[in-house]
Amino acid sequence: MTVPTDQHKEGKKDVTFRVFRFNPQVDSKPYFDDYTIPVERGVTVLRSLNYIKEHIDGSVSFRAFCQAGICGSCGMRVNGLSQLACTTQVWDVLAKSREPGIIKVEPLRNLPLIKDLIVDMDPLVDKMKHYSNWVDSTMPEAQMGKKEFLISEEEFLRYDKATDCILCASCVSECSILRANREYVSPAVLLKSYRMNVDSRDAIHEQRLAELVKDHGVWDCTHCYRCQESCVKSIPIMDAIHGIREDAIESRGMKDTSGSKHAEAFMSDIEKKGKLIEATLPIRTNGVVWTLQNLLPMAMKMIMKRRTPPPPPLVKSAKGIKIFRKMFREMTEHVKQDHKSHKK
Amino acid sequence: MKPFDIVIVGGGGAGLYAAMEAMKTNPALNIAVLSKVYPNRSHTSAAQGGANAALGNKAKDDTVEMHIFDTIKGSDYLADQDAVDVLCSEAPKIIRELENMGTPWSRMEDNTIAQRPFGGAGRPRCCYCSDKTGHTILQTLYEQCLKKGVIFFNEYFALNLSVSGSRSNGLIAMNMKSGKVEAFPAKTVIFATGGYAKMYWNRSSNAAGNTGDGQAIAYRAGIPLKDMEFVQFHPTGLRKSGLLVTEGARGEGGYLLNKDGERFMSRYAPEKMELGPRDLVSRSLETEILQGRGFDSPAGKYLHLDLTHLGADLIKSRLPQIREMSMNFEGIDPIEEPIPVRPTAHYSMGGIDTDNQTRTVMGGVYAAGECGCVSVHGANRLGGNSLLDILVFGRIAGHTAAEEAGKFSPGTISEAELAEQFEEIRGGMHTSGRYERYGELREELGQTLALNVGIFRESSLLQKGIADIAELKERFKKVRISDASDVFNTNLMQVLELKNMLDLAETVAAGASVRQESRGSHTRIDFPVRDDANWHKHTLATLVNGKVTLGEKPVTMGRYELQERTY
Repeated sequence: MTVPTDQHKEGKKDVTFRVFRFNPQVDSKPYFDDYTIPVERGVTVLRSLNYIKEHIDGSVSFRAFCQAGICGSCGMRVNGLSQLACTTQVWDVLAKSREPGIIKVEPLRNLPLIKDLIVDMDPLVDKMKHYSNWVDSTMPEAQMGKKEFLISEEEFLRYDKATDCILCASCVSECSILRANREYVSPAVLLKSYRMNVDSRDAIHEQRLAELVKDHGVWDCTHCYRCQESCVKSIPIMDAIHGIREDAIESRGMKDTSGSKHAEAFMSDIEKKGKLIEATLPIRTNGVVWTLQNLLPMAMKMIMKRRTPPPPPLVKSAKGIKIFRKMFREMTEHVKQDHKSHKK
Repeated sequence: MKPFDIVIVGGGGAGLYAAMEAMKTNPALNIAVLSKVYPNRSHTSAAQGGANAALGNKAKDDTVEMHIFDTIKGSDYLADQDAVDVLCSEAPKIIRELENMGTPWSRMEDNTIAQRPFGGAGRPRCCYCSDKTGHTILQTLYEQCLKKGVIFFNEYFALNLSVSGSRSNGLIAMNMKSGKVEAFPAKTVIFATGGYAKMYWNRSSNAAGNTGDGQAIAYRAGIPLKDMEFVQFHPTGLRKSGLLVTEGARGEGGYLLNKDGERFMSRYAPEKMELGPRDLVSRSLETEILQGRGFDSPAGKYLHLDLTHLGADLIKSRLPQIREMSMNFEGIDPIEEPIPVRPTAHYSMGGIDTDNQTRTVMGGVYAAGECGCVSVHGANRLGGNSLLDILVFGRIAGHTAAEEAGKFSPGTISEAELAEQFEEIRGGMHTSGRYERYGELREELGQTLALNVGIFRESSLLQKGIADIAELKERFKKVRISDASDVFNTNLMQVLELKNMLDLAETVAAGASVRQESRGSHTRIDFPVRDDANWHKHTLATLVNGKVTLGEKPVTMGRYELQERTY
């Protein structure tokens, strides 16, 4: 049994595909099936799965459509990392495999499992709807088709990369916040929201932003960068997330949400001391009442264990704070200038 | 169950535009879009190059008239001229409409929509978004449909029309998530399921699901298919996978080279060179290979598409997807090395016979996009006209169905009919004794089609092809479905897709066999010239008593007289 390839005859490797199996009709819990096939260089994970399905076990279920890396159907976890099966070379995976000769194939995380490698994409679509992931044109429908908006290359470049997204949900699967909270907006939807927000043809920036700064929104991201690292189209998703935050602060003001207040507290501490004043951070982020209600038990425990952060007066400025402050001011000025030229 | 006003089968560009336009025409209508994939997965996303429209942004002297002429000439005069008129006249409006809704078109220096040259076009009129045009159009349409609240039935596999006499009662489809066979009673049904070129399997650029489901359903319901023999081979498929390297790569200045390093297109289209129309360029590549000027490899013979002289910057900015694909599927960086290519089955000009308003012969049933055949592409489609086709005629289909839905009162779809369908599709689960594997049948179908009903055709080859298909259909009766589950049975779905491809392959081979001339994509070695006296007409394939029966239909002429087609 050889997955037929053509060109490279320098060898074959016996590869065991350890495939996640779950059929909700009969299985009470998931299990793995092993399929061992010889694979030549140049064969993708998807071609191997196709071969297993066609020749060994027709019940292995996964989605695949274009098989060329553009439709986004075959997102799955290959040796733990979310990616497209159709653009992933078996030999490349093997080279990094912890268990020699074994490739583990599992469904994407953070979306409801349907069967084997197939997960339900509806929650993602629902979020796209919730966050208005469309251009709501400034042009009335009746006027459309008559003339073009004139869009500068500069504006085009602002959303060009974001429009590469094929909604494969690799980022959704890798997101650490979604693992804790499935209601979180999710990286793909933030990316799309950003793409709409920087489009001058769109009329509902403010409305979209208002939704994005609510609970489960843009401020919940913890900057783990896993979305960006796993993006199959190499889209700088974190730039989009930062973009939305900057936009939110600029247009809605610092005091608007706990997220923006948290960011402000960070900035002010860093500017003053060169480090964080942790003791008062929760109060400055969420207010006194919230902090007392939610963090008092933990504060008590910290006191018992003598793990409390030093009170503000005792936080000394970091070494070299003067030079740092100068750099900080320069940077702030630079960012301001950048924003101004952006607006033009 | 109250019938839907409109059921749209297919969620690609044509289906989504139809949904949007239908809602615009009459917001009170009850509309559903069924798709066997999530709509944003549809094959529209794979269209790289662009969409033609005489905007005049790049060439100020471009006109709709010139676009019409290029299209008719490109079709080898088989397109209906009134239909081409609609296609090209609507083009500038529809491109601007998409732009107004948010499609991120690339831009010219004066901030208008960018345009580039494309094969067979007299002016640079192909509007694009780098090399992801189809993807961005599909995203825009899907987003706008979500905005409008279009009701989607995602991952439903369409099985058949329910027909009483000559009247459609609506659609029967399988819900992939549950495996249930469900009824969609409907006043009108629009088929927009894309093309059928995947029947060439590994020698096709198409997505695995481009199996002509809509055409096969219409055919089984007695609706004629038009010009099925015309399958376009794209000149530059990747050697190993058949995946496509966009014509944009040649539009940006890429060369086609044979093993002697010669730009061989100078022999076949001295003026247009690499930018000749697709059928001509494909034949040129095939001829070079047949005459021994191709490179050899275990994967078969191939030629070079050379972009190295364009430079890293241009390749990275204008053709990033091509570069990515070459690296993923051939292990080659086009900045450093030429890309190995050979022709690949790419587009089906034929489809469900419709009039200019996308109506079929069955009242309340419409077809649009690659699924339908108006015909605007005739014997050969020009690059950049297929995205345009799905947009223009998708919109017309939505509008027409919305206007006409009130005229139809469908009958009911009975539980008994659903139960019968359910039993029928799952027959393969009960196959005992010696059985057939669907994967093998599918590959054999692709091979015989590429060999016998491919770029160069000839009587004895075609007879062989027809016999092979008949044999495959026989063997299909013993095919086994090894997945017995109801939930998301992709095994069952792929078997049903194969059934559709086998039904349609018969019509392709039959049409190719009867058409004794060479026109556009259809090249007969035994009848090497165009025969206007006998064959300036469409073929119609209808299923009568289980057999493909061929008829014909005249071509609508207009301003342009028949001419010899040279480039």
